[in-house]
Amino acid sequence: MPPAVDDEDCRKIGEFLYRRTGMVLPRHPDYIIRRVIDRMQATATTSFDQYLARLRADFDDEIEHFINAFTINETYFYREEYQLRCLTTDLLAQCIATKPSGAPVRIWSIPCSTGEEPYSIAMWLLDTWPAVDSYDVEIIGSDIDTRVLEAARAGQYGQRALMRLPKATIARYFETIDDQTWRIIADLRQSIGFSATNVVAATEVRQLGRFDVIFCRNMLIYFDDASRRIAAENLYESLVPGGFICLGHTESMSRISPLFEVQRYADAVVYQRPLDPPDV
Amino acid sequence: MPLVRKASQVAPPAGSPDRADALRALGSGPASARWSAARALADFVDTAPELGRALAAETDQRVRAAIFTSLIHFGDAASVQAVVPYLGAPDANLRSGALDALRAMPAAMGAYLAGLLRDPDPNVRLLACELTLEVPSPATAMLLAEVLEHDPSVNVCAAALDALGEIGGPDVLPAMACCAERFADQPFIRFSVDTVRTRIERSH
Repeated sequence: MPPAVDDEDCRKIGEFLYRRTGMVLPRHPDYIIRRVIDRMQATATTSFDQYLARLRADFDDEIEHFINAFTINETYFYREEYQLRCLTTDLLAQCIATKPSGAPVRIWSIPCSTGEEPYSIAMWLLDTWPAVDSYDVEIIGSDIDTRVLEAARAGQYGQRALMRLPKATIARYFETIDDQTWRIIADLRQSIGFSATNVVAATEVRQLGRFDVIFCRNMLIYFDDASRRIAAENLYESLVPGGFICLGHTESMSRISPLFEVQRYADAVVYQRPLDPPDV
Repeated sequence: MPLVRKASQVAPPAGSPDRADALRALGSGPASARWSAARALADFVDTAPELGRALAAETDQRVRAAIFTSLIHFGDAASVQAVVPYLGAPDANLRSGALDALRAMPAAMGAYLAGLLRDPDPNVRLLACELTLEVPSPATAMLLAEVLEHDPSVNVCAAALDALGEIGGPDVLPAMACCAERFADQPFIRFSVDTVRTRIERSH
């Protein structure tokens, strides 16, 4: 018989997780209860209080295991498409407001995992941003894991990764390898730069220069407070003044660092590096 | 394809200042130099006292954040000592920065909780009640029980009750009853005591 977990337990565990990570659990008690019970069974804890104590003590990295239970680890093209809409509808318009035609527009995807995100950004820009031909758009994907970077450079994907893409987009930007495998066309693969970068290491991050927009989704939640703050400061330094950072939908930069301003657009909430004040 | 790959255009990064240069810049440079100095000093764990002292004069929020981050990165007793004086700062930004920094150093901060809960400033005691949540244990709960029995501030006691709702056990029920009696003319304390007692009784 599975252990008992009720709505009050969900509230407790939700408060704990928010304080600890800034992460907000979904408002579906049944969904939370199922996953809490899964973790209790995996850790052989017999009561909720016993499990909560284990979580609070972070015994055997239980916080990470718990977060993983709520995180979709697989990624796919056009995931969180609303942020891509925000990119072309609002963010880039501000970024190019003071740039001359032909100037660089730099976009960074970290962590880029196996490349779905930077390629999604590229395809989205090519298909929906009329100004794409007027600027030198540079997209960099970075990850700490060199194995996923190899896969990103190879640009080869299965059906599931392509599930959100319109057929016309697949036809334009992929070549068919077999009935289960597609590869990003060479032109697109060659237009994305990839780098092995640890976001907590300031010297590695500085090597990449400054960006107009950074996509940093579902990464900071895995860090402890100290690392999260260092990462936030490195990301701040990596943005041009007035540049934007997009986080995952359960993440909040306001809980991590006071350096950024929240900007609410029709499609997404993003964080902006303020323009630099006079240097006094 | 209009997208380009020109990573080689990126200018090489400037080197980080060394310890002496960073300490000098932290105290007298422009904000951008103070920011870089505060970040560079994260590599020098013995600079917690200097970083703490710099907070007193620092008015740039960005630099303050970087100083707090370096201290959190150290996460030792010297860093806690450097931050604690700002828990009672009149500047709300500095005060909340100190609170967040202490929250992020639970291992070193725990040893200072008893003293913070007896600080002469009720605002410090109130924030100390919030900090107890970062080091939940029966011993921490008993520190909050002492607050309920002796602290003259009703707001501090309310904050202690809130914290006990998270980390309290049956051992603190007598202190909660004592608190309800001491503030019998404050209905919200009675309400809070009843709520927390129900929560504790349900979960133990």
